[in-house]
Amino acid sequence: MKKMRATPVIKENNRKSTNVILKNLSQPATLVSGVLLFLIALCAIFAPLIAPTNPYDLAVVSIMDGRLAPGETMFDGTVAWFGTDGAGRDVLSAIIFGLRTSLTVAVCSALIALTIGLLVGMTAAFFGGRVDAFLMRIVDIQLSFPAILVALVLLALLGKGIDKVIIALAIVQWAIYARTVRASAIVERRKEYIEAANCLGLSSFRIIWKHLLPNSISPLIVLATLQTAHSISIEATLSFLGVGVPITEPSLGSLIANGFDYILSGAYWITFFPGIMLLATVAAINIFGDHLRVLLNPRLSK
Amino acid sequence: MIKMAKLLEINGLDVSFSTGQDTVYAVRDVSINLNPGEVLGIVGESGAGKSTIGNAIINLIEPPGKIINGEILFQDQNLRSLNDQEMLNIRGHKIGMIFQDPQTSLNPLMTIGAQLLETINTTKKLFGKEAREKAIDLLQSVGIEQPEARMKAYPHQFSGGMRQRVVIALALAGDPDLIIADEPTTALDVSTQAQILDLIKAICSKRKLGVIIITHDIGVISNIAQRVAVMFNGSVVETGDVKQILSSPDHEYTKSLIAAVPRGNVKVERFTSIDYIEGGAQTLKRIAVKEHWLGDSLVDTKSEIVISVEDLNKEFVLKKAMFKRNRSNLQAVKDVSFSIKTGETFGLVGESGSGKSTVARLIAGLLRIDKGTVKLFDKDVTNKFKDKEVVTAQRSLQMIFQDPFSSLNPKMSVEDIVAEPIRYYKTATSNRQVKQIVRDLLDHVGLGANAMIKHPHEFSGGQRQRISIARALASRPKILICDEPTSALDVSVQAHILNLLKDLQDEMNLTMLFISHDLPVIHQMCDRIAVMRQGSICEIATTNDLFNAPNHSYSKHLIKLMPKINFSSS
Repeated sequence: MKKMRATPVIKENNRKSTNVILKNLSQPATLVSGVLLFLIALCAIFAPLIAPTNPYDLAVVSIMDGRLAPGETMFDGTVAWFGTDGAGRDVLSAIIFGLRTSLTVAVCSALIALTIGLLVGMTAAFFGGRVDAFLMRIVDIQLSFPAILVALVLLALLGKGIDKVIIALAIVQWAIYARTVRASAIVERRKEYIEAANCLGLSSFRIIWKHLLPNSISPLIVLATLQTAHSISIEATLSFLGVGVPITEPSLGSLIANGFDYILSGAYWITFFPGIMLLATVAAINIFGDHLRVLLNPRLSK
Repeated sequence: MIKMAKLLEINGLDVSFSTGQDTVYAVRDVSINLNPGEVLGIVGESGAGKSTIGNAIINLIEPPGKIINGEILFQDQNLRSLNDQEMLNIRGHKIGMIFQDPQTSLNPLMTIGAQLLETINTTKKLFGKEAREKAIDLLQSVGIEQPEARMKAYPHQFSGGMRQRVVIALALAGDPDLIIADEPTTALDVSTQAQILDLIKAICSKRKLGVIIITHDIGVISNIAQRVAVMFNGSVVETGDVKQILSSPDHEYTKSLIAAVPRGNVKVERFTSIDYIEGGAQTLKRIAVKEHWLGDSLVDTKSEIVISVEDLNKEFVLKKAMFKRNRSNLQAVKDVSFSIKTGETFGLVGESGSGKSTVARLIAGLLRIDKGTVKLFDKDVTNKFKDKEVVTAQRSLQMIFQDPFSSLNPKMSVEDIVAEPIRYYKTATSNRQVKQIVRDLLDHVGLGANAMIKHPHEFSGGQRQRISIARALASRPKILICDEPTSALDVSVQAHILNLLKDLQDEMNLTMLFISHDLPVIHQMCDRIAVMRQGSICEIATTNDLFNAPNHSYSKHLIKLMPKINFSSS
């Protein structure tokens, strides 16, 4: 039904959008996932301060504490709430440090992939024609390979290391960003304000940077959060397969892999708690990202 | 004489929309009535509540909207007391609806035959052969040729006007007694509009139907309706006989509304007495252009011919293919030549798809020219996108676009939008001066300097168009191309904007290329006019000659179709 709304449409807009934001933020799902995400981020950043022990300080770790069940007291008197692994490391502390590695990898790779994708997608959308066709075919080829396969091959070529994992994940993901930003930039590009900017005689760079980019970036922000969750799981998979981060800096994935040998002998906690943490992190980011999409696009919030 | 029973009677209708804290009345204390066989027009500007009345009658007001008060008597039955099930037996059966956009009111995946049959099945309980015959009958009655063959066609295989005929056939399928037509011709060209209005009129008198036409267009009302209700801000300010209201309106609003309608027959210097309507220009400080920054010219304009276009051609690719025979192109502009003198307003008129906007974009350098030349100030600018001098020449040419909602960057503040060309080309000396210029420009276009810190979404269509104009002025243009600058606006706002453009042209000696499908508007604005059809120019003539003695048969046709409004005296 067109024109159903009555007179003062203009002023309402502002208030309406703030209302939508408040309404969405106060939804339990958003609130819980947001708070959880915040705590996870805090844990990761302040890992050395929060963790009860330093699981990588060889002077502290003692083989005597090996495979303690959750709640038992370690040799030095600290309680291992989540138990200890085969080498006597506190699982809780390992998780907190593991989160740090996982999040670093995910966020860095997401940022790098976002930047590459943004450049490629914007260029394709703005110049169109052959440039567009060429760049998008590369994207198509990239997307036609399974992400995990490409990452495995890349890591086999590059070798181990956090930086290598970040590079591999960025290469796996940039194409998704490129395609998304191209789609939304093409819609914006057809609008008359871009023509007006052309009329003013502005340079292509300025039109892209000042006009096209700010208006086509919001789907990317949402995508970036969802992709971050995705790359946490890919990284975990890679580490589980043994090609991910080095053993000296374990991530959630390598912790899970580490405990896998003990799961049949009853020491479930070594795998179980990192697994739960991985699940919680990915779920929290996904739910939050989903609601972020609603926030950035108030039309969906009915 | 027996007193005829009223077909529809609405008494004291109130419809409100509650938005969080406060309640807005979309319709307030409206009383109208309608006899069988009568056409009632409801006219008003956007937001006046016209469509809400139509939706209230068939009880289709979406929450948060609510009917609070009043009764709606349809054939002596109060529609408000019916439940949903009973209402279904009224909608489509007794009351038919015609919507604005025939593009969206038909299901694109069903043949029109299937859509008609579906409606006939449910409303008339006719099936099989009988239903088919009825459907063919209906199509025939709305003037669709070879109805039997066309039953199998999909909506996209019809033109806009034909599609609207199908929509009318659908509305008639249940043999209704009342038809509500909500802006039935707004999406159509002038020539189709005239046909559709004639059709509605003929059907109404033949079937003794009551018709409510909801429109913003006084021309439509004067062509079709017998009585008219004028709405403003949710209330009916005046009802009565169409001729009487158009010739001697009582209410101030009606007077100003009628004064704002551009006429096809008389040319006026300025549109008068439109101040009743809110949201117009405030009386603001206007700058003396000669002494202002705005007056410093950018390009030397000694040349008399400002724009000259020769044999312009442009093709759009419709279908790409490896082999030539599979490709298909659309010749959007074909051998177009004209020239515009300094200070002149040159009009391009034509129906949608005639290539008017493409010509504008070719001149502005927004599209690549296939063949032909464009000269600005005697300088060949054809396809020279990088040349410094050409860019300078093109900067003195600015465009005002049709859609005020997409022509401003939503993420930038008004200050940034207007100041962008000044800052980019550093045409002002300091940031303070830039701000002062922006302030002056916003005052000058009647928006007020307070607008600077706001964003485009906080403004109405007319105000946004003023921002667009201020942005164009910030480049200190010599040429203004206006591409349907007012077709998305209400008449009163349109009058304000047209006045503003005229004033600016006088003050700055601007050369204008004015594009519109609206003949009366073109008539008011232009000195010379080119009539375009299917990419080529049929006729170029002075405004007087074209409107009084058109040469080309197509121009004659267009001018004949122009909605005539009988303002007897004024």
